[in-house]
Amino acid sequence: MKGMEGRDIVAGYGKIEVLHGASVRAGQGEIVCIIGPNGSGKSTLLKSLFGLIMPREGAVLFAGRDITRLAPEEKVRLGIAFIPQGRNVFTSLTVRENLEMGGTPLDHEREVRRAIDEVLEAYPLLKDKLRYPAGNLSGGEKQLLALARADMVKPQVILMDEPSIGLAPRMIEEVYEQIKAINAKRSVTFLIVEQNARKALSIAHRGYVLDLGVTRIEDSGAELLNNEEVKKLYLGG
Amino acid sequence: MDSLPYYLQTVVNGILAGCIYALFAMGLTLIYGVLNFVNFAHGELIMWGAYFLYLAMAEPFALPLYAAVPLALGMTALLGAAMDFALFKPLRKANRLTLLIAAIGLSFFLRNAAQLFWGAQVRTYGFEIRQGYRWLGVSLTPQQLAIIAISLICICGVYLLFFKSRMGKSMRALADNLDLARISGIHTGKVILSAWIISSLLAGVGGILMALDTNLNPEMGVVNLIKAFAATLIGGVGNLWGALIGGLIIGLAENIAVLFISPGYKDAVAFVIMVIILLARPYVVTDKRTD
Repeated sequence: MKGMEGRDIVAGYGKIEVLHGASVRAGQGEIVCIIGPNGSGKSTLLKSLFGLIMPREGAVLFAGRDITRLAPEEKVRLGIAFIPQGRNVFTSLTVRENLEMGGTPLDHEREVRRAIDEVLEAYPLLKDKLRYPAGNLSGGEKQLLALARADMVKPQVILMDEPSIGLAPRMIEEVYEQIKAINAKRSVTFLIVEQNARKALSIAHRGYVLDLGVTRIEDSGAELLNNEEVKKLYLGG
Repeated sequence: MDSLPYYLQTVVNGILAGCIYALFAMGLTLIYGVLNFVNFAHGELIMWGAYFLYLAMAEPFALPLYAAVPLALGMTALLGAAMDFALFKPLRKANRLTLLIAAIGLSFFLRNAAQLFWGAQVRTYGFEIRQGYRWLGVSLTPQQLAIIAISLICICGVYLLFFKSRMGKSMRALADNLDLARISGIHTGKVILSAWIISSLLAGVGGILMALDTNLNPEMGVVNLIKAFAATLIGGVGNLWGALIGGLIIGLAENIAVLFISPGYKDAVAFVIMVIILLARPYVVTDKRTD
């Protein structure tokens, strides 16, 4: 399998254990969404998959290979990108420099320039803002820039933490359209953690419900949207 | 004394000193930006840089200047990297107060080591003092012209490094957001090492220029650290161009103050500026970063 998988992950902070054996799997080209209430460990799961938190137990697999112990900078070089929640652009760097930073794993400056040209084709909104500090962008533009920066090295898997948080409805549409476009074009795998469950499930192929540190329900996006229990508990009736 | 040339000379002297302070301050602010602490042992890099050149040019090595300078700068960079490796790297996750005390301890150690080795007396490189060029009543020696030229070259180098090279941009990215830098695949270890090398080189060049203009003594590091620190406070800690402007302001303020007070109190000017800023913005050393 070319996708990404987390098996029976146990992880936490200090003495507090947040995940008690959570499992998720995303096949190649799949958009998988992880929903669940606040404090259920969604972000912790995503960080454990990327190595920002080292899982205490369990395994992270990528294309069948065990990558549990690899540092984030090594995972990036394998083709896994992570887009954190909140502060996810270098605010004091220009938009162009942000993209260049995304191109860090590329060997030559020539490749970085070519990658920027390609990314700008896919994200025309950023074209006019290349020379401005990223801190001047709106929330939605920052989210698009974060996505574009991750996209610089054409990752096979993109892990996204709460892409819609704090965005205007129009920008949420824009960000999710972009996710769908990248997925369709290069069959990039997405693992998305989302508070805005309805929106995320509407584009997801599959979804998981995480509750109290374990994965409780797994189903297709459409099924989860219609699941009475999920509706009642996580989609607001 | 004709008053206009006298004032002009004061301004020129201020710019001269300010250029050197700017080199110190930019190195100090760089480490602050990347590692988020004020390296109070930065002064010792300045002092050791100057002494390394003295060592290379004195017997038994007696190297010519063109060979001695690269050697001295290389050793200063090595000292900076060693400082990080031996002390600051193991303390990477420590809080600011721990780092502050560790840096002050290191500063004492390095200063006393220099004193042990070379003694406390004042030394010079032994270049003969040449007649200054006069223009509009302002006098500048060839050495002073060289100081301004070399400082300008360093400042241009810093600009090219931080705004045109990938490594420099990575340093700025790391200073901006460490977690995001790691997530983007930046090798933080390599970038931090480069920051130490650049910071040490700036300290070494500045130290050598300062010793060239005045003299060498084991206390030169501490005094100049205070001035560099005051300069970074003026410019906003972590801000590269702020440090440059801050250095020039300190240099000018010191020399202009001499018009009104005894030259013996010249060093106090930087202290006064520093105290005023710290009274207004104490969080710079105690709390988290301001940006």
